[in-house]
Amino acid sequence: MSQHLDDILEFHWMMDMLQTVDVGIVVLNRQYQVQVWNGFMESHSGKLPSDVRDQSLFDLFPTIKEDWFKQKSKPVFELKTRAFMTWEQRPYLFKFPNYRPITGSESFMYQNITLSPLISATGNVEYISMMIYDMTDVAVGKKQLEAIQVQITEAKERQQFSR
Amino acid sequence: MFSVLVCDDSLVARKQVAKCLPQDWDIAVHFAKNGEEALVALKEGKGNLLLLDLNMPILDGYGTLEAIQAAGLNTKVIVISGDIQPEAYDRVKALGALDFIRKPVSPQMLVEVLEKFDILHSEPELSTDVTPLDPNIRDCYQEITNIAMGQAGDHLARIMNVFVRLPIPNVNLIEVSELHMMLSDIESHEQVTAVCQGFLGPGISGEAICILSDSSFEDVAKILNVEGEVDDQLQLELLMDAASILIGTCLSGLAVQMDVNFSQGHPIVLGQHRAITEIISMNKIKWKRTLAIELSYGLEGYNVQCDLILLFTEESMKTMNSKLAHLLEDF
Repeated sequence: MSQHLDDILEFHWMMDMLQTVDVGIVVLNRQYQVQVWNGFMESHSGKLPSDVRDQSLFDLFPTIKEDWFKQKSKPVFELKTRAFMTWEQRPYLFKFPNYRPITGSESFMYQNITLSPLISATGNVEYISMMIYDMTDVAVGKKQLEAIQVQITEAKERQQFSR
Repeated sequence: MFSVLVCDDSLVARKQVAKCLPQDWDIAVHFAKNGEEALVALKEGKGNLLLLDLNMPILDGYGTLEAIQAAGLNTKVIVISGDIQPEAYDRVKALGALDFIRKPVSPQMLVEVLEKFDILHSEPELSTDVTPLDPNIRDCYQEITNIAMGQAGDHLARIMNVFVRLPIPNVNLIEVSELHMMLSDIESHEQVTAVCQGFLGPGISGEAICILSDSSFEDVAKILNVEGEVDDQLQLELLMDAASILIGTCLSGLAVQMDVNFSQGHPIVLGQHRAITEIISMNKIKWKRTLAIELSYGLEGYNVQCDLILLFTEESMKTMNSKLAHLLEDF
């Protein structure tokens, strides 16, 4: 009996960790209905897990193009490979406000997203997970770096001309 | 040792030609990007046989043939070109080329020509070259890659209804300088785009580089069912998707055989998200040699040419060898 209790306790803290980790975790089934929606997603989207559970991702977020997303996730279901979206190409999939609304310079959160297959005990993929990483700081840093590089080149050119 | 110099301005073409050379032919293969580089290599004795492209920058194939004649260089030349007009054929013959092979070259065609001029058996020398990689281990890596590729090919074929021409994996230990050459080659080349992705397993770490020629994009879009015009943005996304699929299927095939799991980082487009020169300069001291597995994919009926290079750190080889010990036992 105590073994059972331990298992349940362990399950409980594992779930708590998934819930509180600072990365967005979403699990979708083959119909693209939300099965898991962790705390990160809840806080940033303002949608409660009970609101989104079993709802289609495309109904919840009409800005996500259904065809495009299905195309992207097809190999994840069929080939069990991961699919990636990077902020350089697509700044965000979910338009979330910046984590730091006061001191942050960008108005929204830049995101890197990984889709991975969740392989069942029978070896099939009925669910995929989506991890959403906040890349805002990296994006801001890179933008600043690029701005400085431009400034330096301009300054050098000016120097050459003034000589 | 008999030496073969492959001269072509395209990285893809150079590799393709090199891969068509008979596997069991014991030769040293050298490369040149244009006629000028070829002449330098020939003068250094790096080309008993020259496989020459015609259209190249700086010095083209015709110019190279003229220069070889003028300098009286002792080399046998076979022209490999996409320009198959009769006039081109006559011109290169007049300039001393033995024969003319039309692009893309196939191993059969190349062997036929080599046999015809008795080049395959000329200057037979016993190999004195020491391979840096234990041949048994090389075999083993080649075999597991073959199996992984077979699985990957099967997956791709069934999902996308394409026939994948499975390449023979090329396994080598390469030095820093060779990778630098490869990377800077990608940068200087506008016709190819490369994606690089790190992967990590217990005790094993490495990076995968996927190089796709730009002419492949339209067909990749077709295969992935992307409708509409392929603009730059979409092109990049396609490349990332295609790379993820190729890298993912190949890695999972390897992972199963080694009984490990690989996690993958986010893919990066070389030269765009990260300047190649920056990668080269940053990595200067960190490592000396890396295990490289090169695969060149083709899709039947489509104009898709894609190279996948898996690089493993030297330390990873220890773990990998122990994971593969059951395969190595018999040696």
